[in-house]
Amino acid sequence: MTVHLRKAIDIALKDLIRSFRNVFGLVMMFLVPILLTAMMYFAFGTLFRGDGGFDVPLTRVQVANLDVPSPQLGGFSAGQILLEFLQDESLSNLLQLSEAPDEASARGAVKNQTADVAIIVPSNFTAAVLEPEGTARVTLVQDPTLTLGPSIVKGLVSQLADTFSGAKIAAGTVARQFGQRGVPVKPQMFQDIATEYATWAAEVGQARADGMHPALDVQAPLSKAEPRSWGAEVAGLVMVGMMIFFAFFTGANTAGTIISEQENGTLARLFTTPTTHTAILGGKFTGVFVTVLVQVLVLTLLTTAIFGVHWGMPLTVSLAVLALVIVVSGFGVFIISFIKTTRQQGSVLGSVLTLAGMAGGLFTTSLSTPPRAFEIIQLLTPHGWALRAWKLALAGASAGEVALPVVVLLGMGAVFFAIGALRFRKRFA
Amino acid sequence: MEQRKAVKVHDLYKDFGDVHAVQGVSFDVHAGEIFGLLGPNGAGKTTILSMLSCLLEPTQGDALVMGHSILSDPMAVKEAIGVVPQDIALYPDLSARENLIFWGKMHGMRGPALRQRVDEVLQITGLTDRQKGRVNKFSGGMRRRLNVGVALLHKPQVIFMDEPTVGIDPQSRRNILDSVKDLNEQGMTVLYTTHYMEEAQELSDHIAIMDEGKLIAYGTHDELVQIVGEQDRIDVSINAESERVIKQWQETEGVHKVSADDGTLTLLVDDSNIVLPRLFESATQAGVRITSVEIQEPNLEAVFLHLTGRALRD
Repeated sequence: MTVHLRKAIDIALKDLIRSFRNVFGLVMMFLVPILLTAMMYFAFGTLFRGDGGFDVPLTRVQVANLDVPSPQLGGFSAGQILLEFLQDESLSNLLQLSEAPDEASARGAVKNQTADVAIIVPSNFTAAVLEPEGTARVTLVQDPTLTLGPSIVKGLVSQLADTFSGAKIAAGTVARQFGQRGVPVKPQMFQDIATEYATWAAEVGQARADGMHPALDVQAPLSKAEPRSWGAEVAGLVMVGMMIFFAFFTGANTAGTIISEQENGTLARLFTTPTTHTAILGGKFTGVFVTVLVQVLVLTLLTTAIFGVHWGMPLTVSLAVLALVIVVSGFGVFIISFIKTTRQQGSVLGSVLTLAGMAGGLFTTSLSTPPRAFEIIQLLTPHGWALRAWKLALAGASAGEVALPVVVLLGMGAVFFAIGALRFRKRFA
Repeated sequence: MEQRKAVKVHDLYKDFGDVHAVQGVSFDVHAGEIFGLLGPNGAGKTTILSMLSCLLEPTQGDALVMGHSILSDPMAVKEAIGVVPQDIALYPDLSARENLIFWGKMHGMRGPALRQRVDEVLQITGLTDRQKGRVNKFSGGMRRRLNVGVALLHKPQVIFMDEPTVGIDPQSRRNILDSVKDLNEQGMTVLYTTHYMEEAQELSDHIAIMDEGKLIAYGTHDELVQIVGEQDRIDVSINAESERVIKQWQETEGVHKVSADDGTLTLLVDDSNIVLPRLFESATQAGVRITSVEIQEPNLEAVFLHLTGRALRD
C-alpha cells in the first residue's frame, strides 16, 4: 500500500469516527428514518395484523327468525339456512350471533346497545323463496354509530339472498323448459335444482373471497419474494423513501466536512503536511462513501429486525446498496463543491435535497401508479432512479431486472463525482 | 564562515487582486536560531508564513527552506517544516491523543514510533493527564498548547509559529514561550511571528520588522534599538482629546515623533528629564490635564514608532 493511499484511508477513518460521534448526525442518519417508518407502520398497524388479515371488531347480531318452514318440503326453512349461514365457523371472528324470540326483542337489543345489528326474518321468507313470484323483506336494524360491522352483516345477508334469488331463477328456468317439453316438475326436483345452484354459488363466493374469480386464470407474478405481511410491506416502502432521502443528506453533510475543515483551518493544516491534494481529497471522498455505506446497511438490517421487512434477493439488494451509495457520494461531493460556507450549506442542502426528494417520489413511495408526468420527473433525479432500484429489490426482482437503474445510478454517481472533484481540485489548487 | 541558512527568502511578492499583501520581502533565517517576524496586524506576516508553508504561491520571488524551493519542491519543504497556525486547527470531537496520532500519520509516522512520540509531545505540552479528553472540552490555553504540539510530532527541522500566544492566559503563554526556547535548545530553527514586542524581544536572535507588506528593519534586538539611538519613549495619558496638544508637542524642542492612540499619546524624545516639563507646560496652556506618564528605555516599540510614525499596537 502506498504512503498516500494509507494517508487517504487515515483521513477517511478520521471522518468516519467524527461522523459517528456527532449525536445530531446519528439522529438524522438512523433514528429519524426509523422513527418516521415506525410512525407509518404503527399508523397502519391498527388495521393490519401480523398474519395479514384485518382486525375488525366483533359485531354482535341478534336474529329474530319468524320464518315459517315449508311442510311440503319436509320442513325446509330459508330462515334457518340464513341463521346457520351466519353461524358458520368461518364468520366466528366477525359475528357474535344470538337469537331473539321476537322482533321487538331484537330491536330492543339494538336500542339498548346489547346488540350492534338486529336481523328480522319475516314469516313468509321460505314461502317467498319457494313461490316463483313470491317476495319477502328481511329487515336489518343497526346501531347508527357503527358502520363497518353492519355493512359486513348486510353484505352477508345480501349474498345469501342473492343465492336464493339465483336458485329460484335457475329452478324456474328449468321448470319452464321442462314445461315447454311437457315434462311435469315435482316439488322435490325443484328443490334439488335450487340446492345444486346454491352449492355452485357458494363455491364461487368462496373463490372470490380468496381473491380469485373462477372465470379468471391468474398467472404467478414476476415477484419471487416470500409472502409478506401488509405491515412489513408498508414499512419497506416507507423505509425505501426515508433511507434514500436521509442517505442523500448524510452524503452531502459528510462531504460538507470539507467546508467545515476549511473554515476551522484543519484543511489548510493538512495541506502543510507532506500529503498530496489527491490523497487529502480522496480520503475525504472515501469518508463520504464509507459513512453512507454504513448508514444504508444499518438501516436495512434494522428495518428487517424491527419491522420484518424482506428486502429481496441478496445480489439484487447488494447492487441496490452499491448504486445508492455511489450516487449519494457523488451527488454529495457535487453539490458541496458549489457551496462556500457552512452557513450556506444548511440552507442549500435543506432546500435542494427536499425538492429533489419530492421530485424523486421519495415521499409518495406507496403510490403504485403515479401520474405519467410525475414518473418522467422522477427519472430526471438520482432519487427517482434509486427509488426504482430499491422498489424492484423489495418486490423480489432479480439482479438482471435492476440492471438498468443500477447502471444509470452508477453513471450519474460517476458524473457527479467527476464534476465535484474537478471543482474542488480547482478550488484548492 | 557564513552560517548555514534554514530559510532564505528572496524578493517575495504576494498580491490578492489590488491588495499588495507582501512587497519584495527578503531575509535569511540562520539554522538553529529563533527568528522573530514583528509587525502590527495586516503587516503581511501570516501571508509570508503561508507562502513558506506552501499554502500560497508567491506572485513573484521564491524562498528556500532547508535548501528546498517552495515553488519547485514543495513536498520536501513540507517534510522539513512544522506549522503552528494562528487559529486553532484541531479536530474538536477527537481527543488530544487522537488528534496527535492523526496528525502524526499525516507526517508519515506509524506504529510504536508514533505512539512513543505522541507520549513525548503530550509531556512537552503538559497534556498527559488530559490526553483522552476531547478537545472541545479543553480551555483556550490547552488547545493552544496542543496546537503547538501537533507541529512538533515529526521533529521538524524548521518550525513556523504564527502568533501562537494570541488570546490565551498568562500561564499557557509562558508555557508556549518556554517550549519555543526548549525546542530551539534542541536545535530546531524557529520562525515566530508576533505583534507583541515583548515576545520578539525575549525570544528572538534576529528580528525582522514588517509594516504594510514591506520589511522595514532587520537585525538583532540591540542592532534595531540602535536605530533610535538614545531616544526615550514617553507614553502620556490626558483628560481631553489629543488634537488639543498634539500640534504643540510635535513642535516642542527635543520631541521627534508623536502618535496618538485611544487617549494615549506616545512620544519619542531626546531626554525625558528635559522634555517632560515642557510637555506639562504646553498642556497647561492648552487647558489639558496630564493624568499619567510612563517613561521607557529604547525598545522595539520605539523602533517601530521611529520608522513608521505609528505605535506597534495601531
